Amino acid sequence: MNVVSSAPDLANLQRIAIKVFVSADSTITARDVIPVFHRWIQTGAVNGLPIDVANYSHLPTGPCVLLVGHEGHYVLDRTEGRLGVQYNRKQPLEGSLADRLLSVTRHVVRAARLLEADASFSTPVRFLGNEVEIIAQDRLLAPNSDETLVELRPALDPLLTRWSGNTDWTVSRKSDPRAPFRVAAVTKATDTLENVEARLFESNNY
Amino acid sequence: MTWKDLLGERVPTALGREIDTYENQIALKRLGKIDDKVFAETRLRRGAYGQRYDNGQRNDGTGVKPLPFPSNGQTKGPDTIWDAPGMQRIKIPFGGLTTAQMDTLADLAEEYSDGVCHITTRQDVQLHYVHIDDTPSLMRRLAAVGITTREACGNTVRNVTACPIAGVCRDETFDVTPYALASMRFLLGHPDAQDFGRKFKVAFSGCRDHACGLVNMHDFGAIAVTRTTDGVEQRGFEVYIGGGLGAVPHEAKPFESFMSEEEILPTLQAISRVFARLGEKRNRARARVKFLVAQLGVNEFRRLVREERDSLAADERWTAYLNELPRYGEQALKTGRPLEDAGSSAYQTWSRTNVYRQRQPGYAVATVSLPLGDLSSGQLRGLADVARRFVGDTVRATVEQNIVLRWVRESDLPALHSELEALGLARPGAATIADITACPGTDTCKLGIASSRGLAAELERQLAKQIDALEPAVRELRIKISGCFNSCGQHHISDLGFYGVSRHVGGHVVPHFQVVLGGKWVENGGAYGLAIGAIPAKKIPDVVRRITGRFVEERRGSESFYDFTIRIGKRALREMLEDLTTVPPHEVDTAYYSDWGDPREFGIGDMGIGECAGEVVSLTEFDLAGAESQVFEAQLQLEEGDFGHADTLAYGAMLQAAKGLIKTEFVDISDDPDQIVSEFRTRFFDSKVFFDRFAGGKFAQYLFRRHARSDPSDDASATRRLIEEAQLFLEATHACQARLAGQLPAAPPPTSALPPTERPS
Ligand code: SF4
Repeated sequence: MNVVSSAPDLANLQRIAIKVFVSADSTITARDVIPVFHRWIQTGAVNGLPIDVANYSHLPTGPCVLLVGHEGHYVLDRTEGRLGVQYNRKQPLEGSLADRLLSVTRHVVRAARLLEADASFSTPVRFLGNEVEIIAQDRLLAPNSDETLVELRPALDPLLTRWSGNTDWTVSRKSDPRAPFRVAAVTKATDTLENVEARLFESNNY
Repeated sequence: MTWKDLLGERVPTALGREIDTYENQIALKRLGKIDDKVFAETRLRRGAYGQRYDNGQRNDGTGVKPLPFPSNGQTKGPDTIWDAPGMQRIKIPFGGLTTAQMDTLADLAEEYSDGVCHITTRQDVQLHYVHIDDTPSLMRRLAAVGITTREACGNTVRNVTACPIAGVCRDETFDVTPYALASMRFLLGHPDAQDFGRKFKVAFSGCRDHACGLVNMHDFGAIAVTRTTDGVEQRGFEVYIGGGLGAVPHEAKPFESFMSEEEILPTLQAISRVFARLGEKRNRARARVKFLVAQLGVNEFRRLVREERDSLAADERWTAYLNELPRYGEQALKTGRPLEDAGSSAYQTWSRTNVYRQRQPGYAVATVSLPLGDLSSGQLRGLADVARRFVGDTVRATVEQNIVLRWVRESDLPALHSELEALGLARPGAATIADITACPGTDTCKLGIASSRGLAAELERQLAKQIDALEPAVRELRIKISGCFNSCGQHHISDLGFYGVSRHVGGHVVPHFQVVLGGKWVENGGAYGLAIGAIPAKKIPDVVRRITGRFVEERRGSESFYDFTIRIGKRALREMLEDLTTVPPHEVDTAYYSDWGDPREFGIGDMGIGECAGEVVSLTEFDLAGAESQVFEAQLQLEEGDFGHADTLAYGAMLQAAKGLIKTEFVDISDDPDQIVSEFRTRFFDSKVFFDRFAGGKFAQYLFRRHARSDPSDDASATRRLIEEAQLFLEATHACQARLAGQLPAAPPPTSALPPTERPS
């Protein structure tokens, strides 16, 4: 196995992805989301420059449908069999690590909220307001190690507090050293994504 | 910290130096110090391709809209915006991958691409949506695990392919792997292979009968053979030259019936020198070896190569690798053991199509069938682990866009199946009609016309459901799909082939596929099919059902599908599809006006067509329909061996199509060929109105060339080529007509056209 390891350097980390999950009592399919993503391109519904829609619904796991963008991709994602929406940031963002985490989180939550509000689905889709995954798609700056998690916490914890309004979060790292650094954060307090969105977008400009 | 710092000496010095140079060229290009065309060829030679929409234009379903990339005018080639995502091709010689390489590819797909690895029809790997700025790091990380992307594209020797089961095949003469590897190493960066007008493709096959090596469609193809001289068995190759698919396919010509193993590398060098010296350079549409062979004749080409070979200074690399051959071979991880357990029913279904008993007792090859050649990073990493546990260190990618695990102990097969199942990689139906090959098409390819992947996904979905119920003779057929006539999906050499075209219907553009019949997958791609007619994309599943249904009903004994299509004849096959060609008006059924898997309106006719124009269009369409009939009739005559008549019909088809186009400006055009050609030249060629966005005036030249020759040809392959050319001329006429009606963007002037090397095959 060719795991090459460097020390984490999260101050420079840009390739951040955040995933939110579809609730157990709702679902969303590629067939539903492909026209929506195309519509988002036509109407400029999301920030940045959307380019195209990539359909990987033939894969049973991993990315299912991507709204490919210049700054980042919006993904209907099935990694580890869990359906959710993820925003993969590709281009650099300004500000501190905490600022960047907040920005990426706002992107994905806004996209998930747009899906929740989309009238074209036969049954409305709902996302969990008490769970989020943070992924670093950069093995150079963020190797999948405990050290990276330690370095992340000072930026992550305020984000989670802002997300839920409390500090009662369980944070755990997925341990396969070859997989990207991936942290699951869960809080017991259930909430709607609508409320989460309101808290995330309070005060600061998007 | 950078990847360069971190990887340090893991990157072999020579590769590291090359990548440093490439990175410097990127920096210089950013400073505007390298010309666009030079930089395009530079990155292409490192496998960094353009991708659809990198010209900053996209049809969003309501019209063609600009994509305002923030590149500030920076470009990475003519008409190619810097910030637009690109495709990275990664050359995998003979498809052989180690588990460490698989891990790295999975990482790269996650970090720089979209989390998906794609296996191509030439055993390469492709990553899409890659930013040019990320390519040096990506290449260093590949180099650290022994992969170079050098010469993955551009006018170079491309990936050397070989049978994925070489060394374990029950039918091979001998294992061709070390020869493929030696050829790749010898030709990579060889000074004699740097000045080609186009690409050069090499393939090795262990036998004549099967399709794994596809020698017949390669510039240089070698089939393993032996001969016995004075009681000593000698290894060698039956060599073929000048094959190729593309817009105008050529079957390879026999070059030498027995070339000793010592002569393979010097002959490749000699061919490279002849090709570099005499091959076309300016007209890149006719610059492949196949055109040079056709122009010189194979005998003259052979003579020139032999003469060149005799003049070469000896090089010890020609034969040095042969000393290693006795030691060459893969080590099985475990001792072979026969299967003891029947396994679950899911296992049994899978093993019927995905398991091949090796020549070595107790071992099998398991095929991991990949839908559309794709697998996610997580799956690839998981597969690397499975390979480590079951077979050791290597797997191979196949030209059918799958991956094979070799040296699986037979008794491990059920356990292997369950591990693959857990990864979502135990799809049954490998090497069946439901295991479809498709090029990237409109998903990512700049030249794609229709969605080859969308159609392939739909056909796979429908066929997988009925696979067990299908007659065995149907089950084992192959379907191959290309997004355009360029044939990257290898549609010519399948039982049922399709390639994307468009048709202009009532003010809209409708995605269609040409149906290609008469190809042979077996015998190294032993015969090329021809198009029998264009059918709306949404009706292609019906085409498959009808043709296979008729095959089942009317098959005689163990007749092959190929023989069946020849016996029934193209006329009858076309007749049975005739009703499927009808496209209902847009207001009656919009489904026809979008492509598979893509809800966007396919092209958009937002320009109102005046009544006068409407009438003219009708006249044009009438002529185009007549031209289609003539080209089809030409095929029938070709089949019947009346080459002169076939030639005349193909020529007539081009004239009629040209005449139809002229009618959009000059209704009173006569039937005189001289007048048609002259008017066509003035109105559509000199004005560049007929020019294809990428191919420029190439298709018009087909008409001019044939018109310049007064007598019909009586040569089978020349006639066949003319029919292909007439078909392409017709497609270009359809496209031109659609442009004139405002349904397709106008072609840019050819000076800004992309280099033809951007065609991703
Ligand atoms: S150029 Fe090749 S990859 Fe592109 S659509 Fe045509 S056949 Fe497919």
